[in-house]
Amino acid sequence: MNGVFYEKFDRHAHGEGLKGHTTHYCAGCGHGLAHRYLADAINELEIQDRTVAISPVGCSVFLYYYFDVGNSQAAHGRAPAVALGHKMANPNSIVVSYQGDGDLASIGLAEIMQVAQMGIPITVIFINNAIYGMTGGQMAPTTLHGTRTTTTPDGRDVLTGEPIKMAEIIAGLDGSVYVERVALFDNKQRFRAQKAIKKGLQIQMEGRGFSFIEVLAECPTHLKMNTSNAENWVKENMVPIFHLGVLKDTGKEPWFELDRPNFIPEKLVNAIGGLPEKAPRFCQAFPKHIAENDIALKFAGAGGDGAQTAALLVTRAAINEGFDSTHIPSYGPESRGGTSYADIHIAEDEVLSPASPDPHVLVAFNAPSLAKFSPMVQNNGIIIYDSSVISSIPKLDESIKIVGVPMTLIARELGNAVVKNIVALGALQEATELLPEDSILTAIRIALRDKGELIPLNEQAFKKGKAAAALPRN
Amino acid sequence: MATKKIKPKPILEQEYCKGCGRCVIACPRDALHISTKINPISGIFPAEIDYEICNGCGLCVAACPEPYGLRAGHFEGEFQLEDPEKLFGEKQTTAPKPINIPSELLDLPESEPFIIKGTYAAAIGALLGGCRHFFGYPITPSTEGTELMAKVLPKLGGVFVQAVSEVATVNMMYGCGGAGLPCMTFTSSPGFSLMLEGVSYMISAQVPGVFINIMRGGPGLGNIGPEQADLKLVCRGLGHGNTHAIALAPSTPQEMLDLTMFAFQLAFKYRNPVVVMGDGYLGQMTGSVQLPKKMVKTGLPEWAVYGDESHRKNLIASIKLSEPDLEQHNIMLNKKYETMNTNEQRSASFQCEDADVLIVSCNTPAQMAKGAVQVLRSRGIKAGLFRPITVWPFPIKALLPLVKKAQKIVVVEASNGQLEDEMRLALSKAGVYRLPLIESIRHFGGVLPQMNEIIEKIGASEEVMS
Repeated sequence: MNGVFYEKFDRHAHGEGLKGHTTHYCAGCGHGLAHRYLADAINELEIQDRTVAISPVGCSVFLYYYFDVGNSQAAHGRAPAVALGHKMANPNSIVVSYQGDGDLASIGLAEIMQVAQMGIPITVIFINNAIYGMTGGQMAPTTLHGTRTTTTPDGRDVLTGEPIKMAEIIAGLDGSVYVERVALFDNKQRFRAQKAIKKGLQIQMEGRGFSFIEVLAECPTHLKMNTSNAENWVKENMVPIFHLGVLKDTGKEPWFELDRPNFIPEKLVNAIGGLPEKAPRFCQAFPKHIAENDIALKFAGAGGDGAQTAALLVTRAAINEGFDSTHIPSYGPESRGGTSYADIHIAEDEVLSPASPDPHVLVAFNAPSLAKFSPMVQNNGIIIYDSSVISSIPKLDESIKIVGVPMTLIARELGNAVVKNIVALGALQEATELLPEDSILTAIRIALRDKGELIPLNEQAFKKGKAAAALPRN
Repeated sequence: MATKKIKPKPILEQEYCKGCGRCVIACPRDALHISTKINPISGIFPAEIDYEICNGCGLCVAACPEPYGLRAGHFEGEFQLEDPEKLFGEKQTTAPKPINIPSELLDLPESEPFIIKGTYAAAIGALLGGCRHFFGYPITPSTEGTELMAKVLPKLGGVFVQAVSEVATVNMMYGCGGAGLPCMTFTSSPGFSLMLEGVSYMISAQVPGVFINIMRGGPGLGNIGPEQADLKLVCRGLGHGNTHAIALAPSTPQEMLDLTMFAFQLAFKYRNPVVVMGDGYLGQMTGSVQLPKKMVKTGLPEWAVYGDESHRKNLIASIKLSEPDLEQHNIMLNKKYETMNTNEQRSASFQCEDADVLIVSCNTPAQMAKGAVQVLRSRGIKAGLFRPITVWPFPIKALLPLVKKAQKIVVVEASNGQLEDEMRLALSKAGVYRLPLIESIRHFGGVLPQMNEIIEKIGASEEVMS
């Protein structure tokens, strides 16, 4: 023997009696032949140590009883996904996904299509015997028209569909490099099948891509025939539908190479954006003039107003100052359509409730936002709104300070409507003195460190917003 | 050696022959036929070779479906001494004993806190925990974590695969985890539902892997708001069969990092999936996150099916055909769950020592509750927060002494009592039958219980009582 089969099949009923040296397959089953050809090819190519065989669900679920290679047993239809996992974990491994027609062409269609299309170098051996074996003779997706099975008692008909031709489908995908359909019914076909399986593995070894060998196999048990008649049946009935031969052999050059994972701390730190630098602090104490130890803010507008970016800058500035702060894009039944709400908290010690249903400070970029959220602003709170787009102000408690700033107008005058949110931050600064001006400006500069040319524009926007908020109001 | 090549004649082991007759049809010289005598060992009419007619062409060997049925013979006259160990069992494979390459801890440079979203924090936690393989299918509100992995992993020699579905995702994880490497996914409730079959397989086959489930509003497509209604799935319904997995419930972006990193350690310690459950809020929330002092350099466990010589012996499988074998397998898994239950209960308590009103809550609602406790205390109400960090195993050991003192438990959650059910079950199993009054504050569909609501509800009823 070639050593690729276990000397004793210990996993087959604990290797007791004859089971230690015989397969679980019925007499004359095509699986045994495909197993032998696969074992021979692994042996000849000297890849036994590198091979991982994926056992599917179906008659060949027990592939791992026999092959002395790394074995992984997959859920029904998922063998290609499992194979991909193994191949990605160790690109040097040789991964074989061995599947039957129910597994590959029915329940596992999505998985085989994706892995084939990706072109990942694995080798799929697809045993097509046109019937469900393990579950007892039900219709397979490859069952021929007219064939009686336990689930097509009157023969497969128009309602149950036509046999699916997987090799043609796989060959039609750009990811596959070698697709061949072979059979087992005579010496010549068996010779071709042996060659094809070996070639499929070779293509994987060379890193050239996805290889697929469809094997037309006999299932004498469910065909209710002896072996000789089953061989003839495949030849006369299956081959006219499932044409034999090479469907695709692209000669694609080797391409598959993966980097190996690295665990260098500096590389990891760089990859996640580098270590945050210690930003200078400007704040003497928590801004208790707004709230005792936890300030809630809400920035509300339409998508594109920049509410989230502005909110994030405030959060960053607050954390830089040593406070705790959170920002959350607001959820809740009120979030519908193209709205964009940001809830911010700044706490002296720890933010406990990250939502801002009743904020101390509201920044409103449009009229609906002002109308919706201004009634929730706490007494003695502060509202800043874009007076270029909002004309009517709801009647609110007198203790609430309301500051209108033409944010959009100022931003347009600066030549870039996008900085409207920075104008808003300037206005926020003037109206609330939430954090020192330099805190916010530092946060803006850090955020723009890779786009330095934008810093002057943003600084100007901030200043203009601040100045506009300082104008006397009537 | 003799120069004249004699083709070896095939050897037929009649007891291993199933009498299918493929060899008989394959033989061009009719040297084979089916015997008329039943083989006494197999009970089958086997094939028979007439060596007088056979010229050793080998076609019958290539036609025999049985590995040990018809074999190519040796050259005549050649004698090969068989290794007695091979002949008499013991050594069924030449594969070496698998080795274990332990993982290592490496120093990380010190830094200022990162200001990042919860999903990013979890992704960074995974990277620090040694994960370099990500498989996933985009689903809101978990996608930012997926996107960060797509961006970062190629820089670290890692692999990012966008799978065709969550079903494919979990099976890619089964393959990669089965190969012994740490891998993960980000998903959200409907996606997690789809993964459950694969999670069951992973648990049975003892494959580690980390699932970050950013829970959203359900049932069905629901919405993308925050909910906690997957607790039932994670604690009581991880696919079919007798399954359990440690379920971690972070409540801040910092914990998203810390617990995700820890999840990898647990996954490999127990060879079992670990689920990190965040609510949609936590996934989206930006906060301050400090990196730990160490990161993990991944090793390779001895059980891995890695596809190398050292690990050739191994098998990852979840099928046990014989009932006694499967029962033993279940007993082994159940013992493992019991060990997890004994060793891995985790919780945090806030002002619980003298609490009359004990709030039980996890994830973002627990943060809300923590705020509520502070306000209630300032009003003279002795409130405390008990926060399960592991929802399974439920941290009953830490809860028991608090329950004995408390006059009332208030479970605050964004589900219809799924956390309360876990708590009640744990109390019942612990033999606590005289329970304090249990009340609840529940929201659903993307709405979280808010701090003021907790304060008002507890404040009002406590004032009535006093």
